[in-house]
Amino acid sequence: MTHHLMWSWPVYWYLFLAGTGAGAIAVSAFIYLRGAGGNFGERYFIIAKFGALIGPLPVIIGTGFLIFELGRPFRAFNIMTSNFWYKAFNPSPMNYGGWLLLLVGLVSVLYALSFFNWKTIFDAGVGERLDKIARGLRKPLAGLCAPLAIATAIYTAMLLGAMPSRPLWNTPVLWALFTVSALSTGIAAIMLANRITHRSNGDQTRERQFHNSGYWLTLFDTILIVIELVVIALFFMFAYVTVQDASYAIQVILPGGEMGPLFWTWVVLIGLLIPLLFEAFFVFRTQYNGGHFRVPYLFEIALPLAVIVGGFMLRYVIVVGGQLTGPIGL
Amino acid sequence: MIESDDETSPPQGESNGRREFLKSAGGIAVGAVTGAVALSQAQGVGANGSQLIATSNSNRVQYGMLIDLRRCIGCHSCSVACKAEADVPLGVARSWVEYTEKGEYPNTGRTFLPRMCNHCSDPDCVRVCPTGATYKRPQDGIVVVDQGVCIGCLYCAQACPYGARFLNPVTRFADKCDLCIHRVSKGLVPSCVNTCQGRARVFGDINDVTSEIHKLIAKHPVSVLREHIGTGPNVYYIGLDSTDENTKRPGQYVRVTTHNGTHTKRG
Repeated sequence: MTHHLMWSWPVYWYLFLAGTGAGAIAVSAFIYLRGAGGNFGERYFIIAKFGALIGPLPVIIGTGFLIFELGRPFRAFNIMTSNFWYKAFNPSPMNYGGWLLLLVGLVSVLYALSFFNWKTIFDAGVGERLDKIARGLRKPLAGLCAPLAIATAIYTAMLLGAMPSRPLWNTPVLWALFTVSALSTGIAAIMLANRITHRSNGDQTRERQFHNSGYWLTLFDTILIVIELVVIALFFMFAYVTVQDASYAIQVILPGGEMGPLFWTWVVLIGLLIPLLFEAFFVFRTQYNGGHFRVPYLFEIALPLAVIVGGFMLRYVIVVGGQLTGPIGL
Repeated sequence: MIESDDETSPPQGESNGRREFLKSAGGIAVGAVTGAVALSQAQGVGANGSQLIATSNSNRVQYGMLIDLRRCIGCHSCSVACKAEADVPLGVARSWVEYTEKGEYPNTGRTFLPRMCNHCSDPDCVRVCPTGATYKRPQDGIVVVDQGVCIGCLYCAQACPYGARFLNPVTRFADKCDLCIHRVSKGLVPSCVNTCQGRARVFGDINDVTSEIHKLIAKHPVSVLREHIGTGPNVYYIGLDSTDENTKRPGQYVRVTTHNGTHTKRG
C-alpha cells in the first residue's frame, strides 16, 4: 500500500510548535493574571516570564512552516484578503485560523517584550521610560494573550477536525486532546527553560523561588497528564463505539494498526506514563515530607523532554494516521 | 451486452441522433420550464433514482454524469482523453479508472470503476476553502477552482471524500475535474463522454426532467459513491459493485488498482 501524504512534515511540526508555544503563553498569562488577587503572580513571576519569552518563537516558526507548505506561499495573505472580495463570512477554519495566528503572533511578541529588562538594554532615561510602559502594558497584554493562546491551541485541532472525509480527525474529542497536550508541553518547555537557565549562587530567596516554581509546574503537569490520559481514553471510546468510519479509522492507532507501535510507545508510554509516574512521585514526596521540592538533575531535564517528545509524536501520529485512513466503502 | 443499448436509451425510444442532441443541448437548461409536475411524475417511475435526485436543489441546473458500468470495458479512453484535454501533468489524474479484482481461482471477478470529481450538491471542499477559491457555480452546479485566488493549501484535497483533488505539480494550485467547462459552455459534452468507447457515460442536467440523464436515473437503479458522507454527489453509476479493499468478508481476496497504486487485502 503506497501512501501519499498531502500534509507532511510542515503540518505536524506546525501543530506541535504552535501548540507548545501557545501552551507556554497561556500558562504564563494565567499565572501572571492570577497575581491580581494576591501575590501568587509575583511569587511565580519566573514562570510567567519564561512562558512569555519562549512562547512566541515556536508559534511564529510553526506558522512559517504552514506558509512554506502552501503550493503558492507568496499568496498566503489571500486567506485574509480574498475573503473581503468574495463573500462576507467564510466558515473555513483555516480562514479564521489565519486571522488568529496573525493576532497571536503580534500580541504574544508584545507580551514577551513587556518582560524584557529595558533598563539594562537602553540608557537611563530611555530605559526608565520603556520599563514603565512595559510594566503598565504587561497585565492588559496577558489578558489578551490568555484567550488568544487557548484559541490557538484549540484551532490546531479545529483545522483537522472539520472534514468528514478524515474520520480519525473528525471527532469532538480532538480539540480537548490537542489543548491539554499543548498546555502540558508548554509547561514542560517552561520547566526546561527554568532548569537550564538556573545557576545556583547561594541566594536563598532565589533558590526557594526556583524550587517553588519547579514544584508548581510539576504539579500542574501531573494533573494535565492525568487529564490527557482521560481524554485519550475518551478519544478511543468515542471512535470505538461509533459504527462505520470512525471505528475503522481508530484501528490505525490501536495495537496492531499501522501507527499503533509509535502511538503506544512514544505518546502513551514515554510521553505520558513515565513522566506521570516520576512527577507524581516527586510531588507526593514533597507533599508528605515537606521541605524543598528536590528532583535529581537528570529527571529535571529528562521528564520535560519526554513530555515534549510525546507531544510531538501525538501530532505526528494523528496527522499521518488521519491521512492513512478515510471513509470506508466505495 | 451489445443489446443493452436499448436498455439505457429513454423509454420513448428516440434515435441516436436525438440522444446526441440531448447530450449537447444539456448546456441550455430547458429543465425548470416543465416544472414540478413532471418531476413528481418522474419520481413515481424509479424509486431508487428519484430519491437520489430529490436530495439536490431541483430548481437549478445541475450538471452531472451517469456512468453505466455494464458498458464500461476499462479501456482508459476517458483517462487519456482527460489528460490530453486538460493538459494534466504526469503522476496526477482528474479522471481515472479503478480495477477491482476479487476472489480465488476459478471464482474470480474484475470490475471497472471510472472515477472523477462528483460535483457534489453540498461539497465539503467548498466549505473548507479558506480563500473562496473553490466554489460551486450557481449557473450550472459545476465545482470549480479559481486559480487566481487558490493558495494551494490542499485543505480541499483533504476534505474531498472521493480523492478527486490534487496539487497540480506544474501550476502549484489545487486541481480537479471541471466537467470540461470550456466544452460544456459551448454546448459540447465533456471530453471523457465524447471519447467513451462503450458509450457508458451520459452527461447532462440532472434536474432537467426532459434530459436523457434524468430519465435514465429515474428509470434505472443507480448508486452514488460514499452517499453516507452526505455531500450529495452528482455522478451516478448503474451496476456499481461496491466491493473495495476494505470489504470485510472472511477469506476474500480483493485487489484494487487505481491511478496512485495497488491496494490488496485478504479478508
